[in-house]
Amino acid sequence: MSDVARNAVLDVRGLSAGWGPLRVIHDLDLTVFPGERIGLVGLNGHGKSTLFQAIAGLTGWQRGSILLNGFEVGRTRSQGPGRYTHQIVRRGLALIPQGDEIFHGLTVEEHLDSGAYTRRAWKERATRKQRILQIFPPLTKLMAIPVGRLSGGERRMVAIGRGLMADADLFLVDEPSLGLAPKIGKSVVDALMAVELGSSAMVIAEQNLGLLEGRVDRIIGMHAGKLKGEASASKSLMGGHR
Amino acid sequence: MNWSFVLSNAITLACIYGTLAIGISLTWSSLGLVNMAFGFIFALSGYGAWLASLNISAQPAVVMAAGILTGALGGLIVCLLAFIPIHDKPNFPLRALIATLAISLIGNQALLWYFGPRAKSLPKLFGNWNADIFGVIVTSDKLGASVSAIVLLTLILLWMRSSRRGLEIRAMMMNPHAASIVGIGVRRTGFYVMALTGSLAGLASVLLAQTYYVAPFSGITPMVKGLSIALVGGLGSVPGAVIGAVIIGLNEALTSTLLGGQYVLITQFLLIILVLLVRPRGIAGLLDKAREA
Repeated sequence: MSDVARNAVLDVRGLSAGWGPLRVIHDLDLTVFPGERIGLVGLNGHGKSTLFQAIAGLTGWQRGSILLNGFEVGRTRSQGPGRYTHQIVRRGLALIPQGDEIFHGLTVEEHLDSGAYTRRAWKERATRKQRILQIFPPLTKLMAIPVGRLSGGERRMVAIGRGLMADADLFLVDEPSLGLAPKIGKSVVDALMAVELGSSAMVIAEQNLGLLEGRVDRIIGMHAGKLKGEASASKSLMGGHR
Repeated sequence: MNWSFVLSNAITLACIYGTLAIGISLTWSSLGLVNMAFGFIFALSGYGAWLASLNISAQPAVVMAAGILTGALGGLIVCLLAFIPIHDKPNFPLRALIATLAISLIGNQALLWYFGPRAKSLPKLFGNWNADIFGVIVTSDKLGASVSAIVLLTLILLWMRSSRRGLEIRAMMMNPHAASIVGIGVRRTGFYVMALTGSLAGLASVLLAQTYYVAPFSGITPMVKGLSIALVGGLGSVPGAVIGAVIIGLNEALTSTLLGGQYVLITQFLLIILVLLVRPRGIAGLLDKAREA
């Protein structure tokens, strides 16, 4: 382990991953440091979601090293997607998946509770729920309603709130604005920007570069399963494209 | 025609079958496993209760606890053999179906080999008296069976509503993929679910043995009934299973009084076919207020 990697929240080396015969991620390297907010941009089908799923152990197969807080959570796996996910999550990962992955019959409150998986988070869940409600005030009135009856934007807030309930060191947010009306999508991204990270880090995958522009520490482009180009001053990246 | 007799029979049967159906329904929706070994767990816990009544004490509480604990143990055995090793392999539902069927066949033969074919009877748990409820004469075993099934089921459902483990089980019932994302371990929850549903089978076994006997193959018919109630109710829905149990229990009591006991399975499956033709997702389709996915 290099010195750089030692204090990194996430250190990915030589990761390949995919589904069956399909290889989506090709020998990818990525390091995320504490306190960073990173934007991961790229077109549909270029592996943003698969990268997140590989970190959570949810892909069909994967190989390569993934260090989360210095613990090796990447394995060479050929089957059993999700077999180790809960252990990886307990090491400090919060994955906010694409398409929300909600429990349609649980109420909003139960959802937020279910996100508090560590012992400490479970004990402090009342205060944490208050914190989530400050980030997403519209949820206050919906606490007792099953999530299956909420609108898309409200579901997204619930899914993100569930991810924020834990003491995660690494938040992976997959397409927070996907499928939402532009105004609502923007407010969701605004809420993510307002989250105080402290020593944790956040990676946001997004197709809409404009939503992240100038508001994240780094923007990384993703193309065909590899990371392509990185801009710390995100405006220069926009300038290059136009 | 004694309607109060039919009604009390229907309620007793509904309580016992409903217990089984809820067990089958919970296992299916949270683990994706149709537990064909449920009949074996049922028979095994009957023998557990019988052994306890001979060797420890014939006190009702002891016999019932022994039945429930043996059932939980049986559930854990099935979990260890048929869930833990294969739950993330391709084609798991079919493999699990075959594995649990194998456990059921081997287990039932083992019971036959060890205990012999002669049926055993459990001591009367609820004494021998009659109660008069609004003019309806109810025998003690029926009243005791109904009350204990309702009390235990209520306790379990309250636990599922209020505790953290219950939340985990319910989360896994609705979306196993998302459950692993929020840190719920599939295998650990599997242990809880199987022990819980096994103990439900144990309870049903002790209660049904008040009317029938404990025999190596005594679990097959109750399992078939439990499974069909779970189907009528809509797999995975607890309220659906309760309503399904009332319908099937009523049907069984009515058929055996009006037509004769040999026609019970015929009318029962006709009823199930009818319900599933009209409501493919079972009764739960009517109850579900939330949109799926």
